[in-house]
Amino acid sequence: MISIKLDNVSLAYRLYEKLTLTAPDRRLGGLGGKIGRSGGKQVVQALEDVSFELKAGDRLGLVGPNGAGKTTLLKVLYGIYQPSAGTVAIEGKVDALFNINIGFRPEATGRRNIVLRGLISGWTEAEIQEKMPEIIAFSELGDFIDVPFKTYSQGMAARLAFSAATALDPEILLMDEWIGAGDAQFQEKAKRRMDELAEKAGIIVLATHNESLLESVCTKRMTLKNGRVEAFTTKPAERAGTRAKS
Amino acid sequence: MIAALNGAFDDISKAMRLHRVWIALAHEDIGDQHRRTTLGPLWMLVNYLAFIGTFIFVFKTKDTDSAGYTAYASIGLVVWFYLMEMISLSVPLFSREASFIQGTRLPLFVYVMRLTVQCIIRASYSVAGCIVILLLSGLGISAEWLLSIPGLLLIVLATPAIVMVFAFLGAFFPDAQFIVGNIMRVGTFLTPVFWAYHGQGGIQNYAYHWNPFTYFLEVVRAPIASGEFPTHPFVVTAYISLAFWAVALLLLGGYRKRVVFLI
Ligand SMILES: Nc1ncnc2c1ncn2[C@@H]1O[C@H](COP(=O)(O)OP(=O)(O)OP(=O)(O)O)[C@@H](O)[C@H]1O
Ligand SMILES: [Mg+2]
Repeated sequence: MISIKLDNVSLAYRLYEKLTLTAPDRRLGGLGGKIGRSGGKQVVQALEDVSFELKAGDRLGLVGPNGAGKTTLLKVLYGIYQPSAGTVAIEGKVDALFNINIGFRPEATGRRNIVLRGLISGWTEAEIQEKMPEIIAFSELGDFIDVPFKTYSQGMAARLAFSAATALDPEILLMDEWIGAGDAQFQEKAKRRMDELAEKAGIIVLATHNESLLESVCTKRMTLKNGRVEAFTTKPAERAGTRAKS
Repeated sequence: MIAALNGAFDDISKAMRLHRVWIALAHEDIGDQHRRTTLGPLWMLVNYLAFIGTFIFVFKTKDTDSAGYTAYASIGLVVWFYLMEMISLSVPLFSREASFIQGTRLPLFVYVMRLTVQCIIRASYSVAGCIVILLLSGLGISAEWLLSIPGLLLIVLATPAIVMVFAFLGAFFPDAQFIVGNIMRVGTFLTPVFWAYHGQGGIQNYAYHWNPFTYFLEVVRAPIASGEFPTHPFVVTAYISLAFWAVALLLLGGYRKRVVFLI
């Protein structure tokens, strides 16, 4: 059963550079985690007591101001960061799209990058070659697939990244704000693919500042602020029909 | 400690299943370093030949046995170049791989093996150059040369452990990069790469006997330079390698989850 369950997850980044904050009693701004001290070390509390649960078919939108902890939370879900406290229980094959440039080599062609990306996700060469035509077709990059990745525009890079990641048939897909780089037509196509994925009883977690993307893709919404969960709402309306019953 | 070792073996076995990744990435690295150059990776051969040519020209005197010295210095330099490059590239390894470490879940050992393969590929060019020099030096080929192979294998087997120890050192102590850089530069002169030890006293005595690099050089060089199997250097090198593996496994097991926060 595909599921995500977080219990009181907290994460603090240690700051290694000396900070030059003159006023010790500065007011807490609206942005970022809390800068504090623990045992004489300066830390940023990026996540604090985050608990929630997602079931198969859920599409969660993560919202909140810059520095609220959205990216940090996605990286905890992906397993890159180990939380400082709390537990994370995840069932299912996870794939993530953080930053278009991560995991892509600028000098290599789009085609070669698909191969590398596939190898990193644990596919064999044969499986990659089998999926290749479909990935290229979905990205609509055409002849550009044999041109170095560094010459791509942002939207072209986003197309390649999205096509490759979703061709892996992930059960849980984590996405950080970036898909906005694709043009309207591609976003529509990407949205359909995410619908398919959710209908196959997968889970999508999407961090974004884009309200309309959130409206059209997500069925649940979690607002983070200074690393804490401020609100968790389920959209009751008509979209519920497309959600898998679980 | 048992938990740390379990963690380390888990990381290593995952990385071994992903061997295609590090082999492919190592090839990409070599390709990237020489992209748009005319000679490509052959530059590594040219570097080596230019260096060794200069040294043989400068240090060869009438009374030294010239074929012997050529062999001595050219083999010493192959191994030294390999060790120097491997260690200098290891220290900033994790920060160089920051975008992958912060964006994917690849086990850390993948990056260690990626650098290992990259160093071996680069070294194979200077080994080829070295063999050509040996053949031209007039030393005469002999079956004893094969006794160098166990020494070479030992160095290759020690490589991932050495890379890992220095990579963790670099991640936890950013100053290490400069300290190690200086040590390696000084090491070129304190290690018997170009000079031979004939029982001199003083600094050369210490630089020979108390220098771990000496033994790494001797296991490969002695069979060709003097025709016998270097038992003592071999045992010392084996012990040093084991010690590196022990430390490497404990570091990997205990601290691999912390690396992502440090880079
Ligand atoms: N590597 C790091 N070291 C120290 N602090 C960090 C690090 N990464 C993030 N932070 C801090 O953690 C907090 C949360 O950052 P995060 O990147 O998760 O925010 P976000 O919600 O994704 O913001 P945005 O909307 O700008 O993408 C911020 O205060 C940030 O300064
Ligand atoms: Mg972010």
